[in-house]
Amino acid sequence: MSEALAVAVSAVVGIVVAVASVWYVNSAYGTSFENLYRVNPTVEGGGVGADYVAGNTDPLLDALIVVIHAVDVLMGVFILALVFVHWGAFRRLGARMRDHDEPAEVATDGGRDADNGGESA
Amino acid sequence: MDHGKFTRVTTYFHSLLALDVFLLFFTGYSVMFNDELWWMVEFMGGNAGVLALHRIAGFALIVLTVFWVTLMLVGPGRRKNFKAVLPTPTDAKAFIQDVQFVLGRADERHPNARQFAGYSSDEVPLLSYVGKGVVWIFTVELVLLMISGLLIWSKTGAAQLFQTKAAATAFVTFHGLLGVVMVMGIMFHIFEHGFHPAFYPVEMKAFVPKSVMPHEEHDDHEGTGIELLSLRPTWKWAVNLAGAAVVIGIVSVLVGSIFDSGYPIPAGLTPGGGPTSVLLTIGINIGMFVLLLGVVLSTYGNVLRARYEQQVAGEQDSEPETAADGGQPRDDD
Repeated sequence: MSEALAVAVSAVVGIVVAVASVWYVNSAYGTSFENLYRVNPTVEGGGVGADYVAGNTDPLLDALIVVIHAVDVLMGVFILALVFVHWGAFRRLGARMRDHDEPAEVATDGGRDADNGGESA
Repeated sequence: MDHGKFTRVTTYFHSLLALDVFLLFFTGYSVMFNDELWWMVEFMGGNAGVLALHRIAGFALIVLTVFWVTLMLVGPGRRKNFKAVLPTPTDAKAFIQDVQFVLGRADERHPNARQFAGYSSDEVPLLSYVGKGVVWIFTVELVLLMISGLLIWSKTGAAQLFQTKAAATAFVTFHGLLGVVMVMGIMFHIFEHGFHPAFYPVEMKAFVPKSVMPHEEHDDHEGTGIELLSLRPTWKWAVNLAGAAVVIGIVSVLVGSIFDSGYPIPAGLTPGGGPTSVLLTIGINIGMFVLLLGVVLSTYGNVLRARYEQQVAGEQDSEPETAADGGQPRDDD
């Protein structure tokens, strides 16, 4: 398959999947709020708003929140370590480079150093 | 400019994904950290405006991600990329050597860590160990974020499915907390690719396709040749300022996600999302500033790319005039 055709096919697949998934969650799966909480099954006796008294009654969801908090903290510490390692590495690499006022043979953008040419006085 | 890594499609995809993800961050976290980022919500059209923008950007994210996965599967020569992304023991070595390099116990960064390859581009793999990590974190995070995002797209649907409003809120919280890893990772990503001394202020590999990167023949040279490059005078303070802002941003978002997680229900009723403080407000706002810097650098990278391509096109236009027959082209009289 050619590059252009692959890009076109992928774009169509992307749009179709996105439209279908949003359509699904809004039609097959959506519901009118009028139909919710008339009778609430989470607290004995039930009633409107009773679920807020009981809190989240699904231990699996509570566990999920705890796990994701832990993942955030672990990844946060690791990412901070990466920041410090790169910060240190950049400073060391920077120290190896020429200062700007020294004439450079090559510039980062692949061009010539503007100060290093031109007419002599 | 260094060796090229991205194809043309990848450069466009990367820029579009970046803009979309930044919009998702700005809209999503101004809601989650509403105590600290209330001004952002006002700026983006209030609660309804922000959530509408978030949904539009979420839709675009699904389009972009599915597009990318499909392209990786059907695009010519792309399947070998799946192998290039697998972590190897060498990547662990590269991380350890990076730590040693900072401590002065190694003279060079490992090829699997090297961002600036210079004369050593033959040794450098397609993805550094950080690059592989970024791909993996993005893959896992985006899949979970899209699934949980779709699940809470219709709040009434989620509430009906799980029977309580609290359960629906739990999924909203899960969705927000999940993105925290990504928002921290992106702050690091901005620092990593914006403040490398050889590339500062932006690493052009993500913007200029490898097909138009200049290929210069070079003689055998020890090392990368970074010592031949001149450092921009602003880099010395810019790297420290950006480094500090990134650290403050990451720490604040992390602390904020623990204390201000927007899940007040099970631990007791604390409407408003929990404690906040001036320091946290400043810190989280600095984090958002880092993200804004990412938008600016991404845009700047594209401006530079356009300028470079214009320059290359100009050179190509003028070359044949002298190269073809040595004379100037002219209209036949």
